[in-house]
Amino acid sequence: MEPPIVYYPRSEYIETDTGNKVSRKSVICGSQNIILGGKTIIQTDCVIRGDLRRTGGGHAVVVAIGRYCLLAKGSIIRPPYKTYKGIFSYYPMKIGDHVTIGEGSIVEAATIGSFVHIGKNCVIGRFAIIKDCCRIEDNTVIPPNTVVPSFSIYEGSPGMFVDELPECVQDLYEAKTKDYYSKFQSKDS
Amino acid sequence: MSQQIDAKQRSYVHYYCPCPDVSKTNNNTVEDEEEDIIESIPDFDVNSPRLHFSTFPISKLYFCEDCHQIRCPRCVQEEIVCYYCPNCLFEVPTASVKSERNRCARNCFQCPICQNTLTVVASTELPPPQPSASSNSSASTTSGAPYYLSCGVCRWDSQEIGMTFEKATGLALQLQKTEDERPDVKEFDHLKDHFEKHLRLSAPSTTLPSSLLSIPGISSFSNRYGGGGFTHPHQKSDDVAEYKTTIKIENDDNLVHDLVQLKDVNQITTLTQRMNQLSDQPYKVERLQPQRIHLRTKRVKRCRSCRHILIKPEQKAQATRFKIKLVALSHIPKITITSKPNLVLNQKTEIILKFSNPLYEEIIVDLALKKDETTETNEYAQITLLAPHFNITPFNEVWEYDEQDFNISSKGRPSSTASAPKSDIGIYERRGNYTSVIINITPLAEVDELKFPLLVTYANKVKDNNDNNETSGDAPANDSSTAAETVSSDKQNTDADKPNTDADKPNTDGDKPDTDANKPNIDNIDKDESTPTTKSLFFWTVIGLGPVVNQVTAKPLPPTRSPLTNNNSNVAPTRTNINSGKA
Ligand SMILES: [Zn+2]
Ligand SMILES: [Zn+2]
Ligand SMILES: [Zn+2]
Ligand SMILES: [Zn+2]
Repeated sequence: MEPPIVYYPRSEYIETDTGNKVSRKSVICGSQNIILGGKTIIQTDCVIRGDLRRTGGGHAVVVAIGRYCLLAKGSIIRPPYKTYKGIFSYYPMKIGDHVTIGEGSIVEAATIGSFVHIGKNCVIGRFAIIKDCCRIEDNTVIPPNTVVPSFSIYEGSPGMFVDELPECVQDLYEAKTKDYYSKFQSKDS
Repeated sequence: MSQQIDAKQRSYVHYYCPCPDVSKTNNNTVEDEEEDIIESIPDFDVNSPRLHFSTFPISKLYFCEDCHQIRCPRCVQEEIVCYYCPNCLFEVPTASVKSERNRCARNCFQCPICQNTLTVVASTELPPPQPSASSNSSASTTSGAPYYLSCGVCRWDSQEIGMTFEKATGLALQLQKTEDERPDVKEFDHLKDHFEKHLRLSAPSTTLPSSLLSIPGISSFSNRYGGGGFTHPHQKSDDVAEYKTTIKIENDDNLVHDLVQLKDVNQITTLTQRMNQLSDQPYKVERLQPQRIHLRTKRVKRCRSCRHILIKPEQKAQATRFKIKLVALSHIPKITITSKPNLVLNQKTEIILKFSNPLYEEIIVDLALKKDETTETNEYAQITLLAPHFNITPFNEVWEYDEQDFNISSKGRPSSTASAPKSDIGIYERRGNYTSVIINITPLAEVDELKFPLLVTYANKVKDNNDNNETSGDAPANDSSTAAETVSSDKQNTDADKPNTDADKPNTDGDKPDTDANKPNIDNIDKDESTPTTKSLFFWTVIGLGPVVNQVTAKPLPPTRSPLTNNNSNVAPTRTNINSGKA
């Protein structure tokens, strides 16, 4: 089914030069440590914790998000942390292009590849690695350190491999995210 | 299961692959004998239970260019090109797959309780570290500390069953000895040796690919069921010498006694846990062992009819690209229902079907509900196709980039709307590489799921010298009329077809379309790619529209749109026209 055009109040979103649309009602911490690739949408009540960076050291990228990504309402991006050799530290997170993160999902992954769909109300555990072309169904919990290989559908708690994605998933997700972006339009209210 | 439930709730378009029915002889008689091509289109029953196994969303389908046909997962053959571990992503050489029993031989284990992937932990370290980190760090801090496996989900750890490791790497190797001594493993090996001896004798030649041959049992299977040529009589496979077990199964009186005494159900394993334990399926939780993780594969997919490769992934385990990728999505028109229709009993509703053209040539589409019918009334609904015949402009990458100006472009693209004014009845929208058409539906029964069949016939012109005016002025209109005639005459009369195809194809024989028209399954009008010609293809689809509700209960319908939608006034044609009685 074709997704409908989504209108948002013009005053709510900031549009950057590269076409990113960021809601003023989202919480973006440490924005100097966050990179958005362009044409990425960050919706109402999202939280990106760019301030949780490696202790010590200077300026560093904490959260890198690619192009045509969608962080739906209320999703939370929080860099993963661990204690290594007795030192507690946060580690950077990288998200590829054409990634959709569903409403209310919490992501603490180390890496999310490109062409990934994460459903609603998911929890992506610390240091999880989600490779390119994956689908995480709604309400799935991916445990910490899990590797989700390409062309997988994961579901459940703990998230398990349930099926393979078709070969054309890259085209599907690319079209889907581009379509969503083009239909995400401002409206004076 | 979940897919079935989903399908009933949502609207969908599924494409039908006739492959399971090909062998079935079709004896249905058609009233009009002269309509040859129509006769050859098999009947299609949307309520057939078989449909569950032969209709697919377009994303699951392939397209064989040589057969010029849709191929589904049931009519492709798979060959394994690469084995890899889904956790460590290391490729496993085909030669060692068998000896490793299709499982990862490195450090990847599955929790016996919750099937989550286990991590390696050094026993003296307090917080569970990364598997890679533990190997370096703890070696320096605590020398000689044993390692164990720990589950981050259910907190199970391998110390519970007394399983520890000297090193944090090569765990599977460290376990090898214990694993090999397990009675079930021994027995299986013994059994395998026993039959392999026989297989080697009885199957010296086979047509199976070598990668399959390495799996014991496959070759004998193919001999029995006609895969590998009948070089051996059937009796041979029964000549196996008598098998004697090496292991005596322990008397299970004690187990039965224990099970009878059980007061807490958690003391025995669940079915899932038991099924995950290779061949010894213990009832007692303490006997559960962590299992090495199953390998996954990358496969080549071939057309079953012509053996051409449809899918060829890159060899490397982690690569996601394909060397060959003939998917239906990039070859046949993609049909989407543009908005979720609310079907109310006895109320005429418009549904919009969007047809997108993935090809670089214009295509002409013909729709029918049944044979040559564009209207149909049955016990469930009255359906009218308002635009049974239309064209779709070719795919063009440029459009992808200006799609962001959605509102402006819908008005400001003169080329598409002006191209075919004569066929605008029932056309909802033309833009980019798609055309949206209107179908009127009046539900006549209150059903859980209203679905109807749609026969899609399309033809595309392969470019030739006479036909290279691509400019968007009057060329598409011209194009559509000539090519349209070809298609429609195809359907009506094969005699009338001849002059047209002759004109289109200067040097091919004129009666070729005749013969092909009678065999729609080998719908290959022209095999020579270089000759400019009209290629046509037809396929059945099932359009599912979700439930029909009675007017009384229509109001409390749950909101079907995503909560993100603030306003969707532009895309709700279904509701506004319910009472307007068009056509
Ligand atoms: Zn098939
Ligand atoms: Zn592994
Ligand atoms: Zn567990
Ligand atoms: Zn073929």
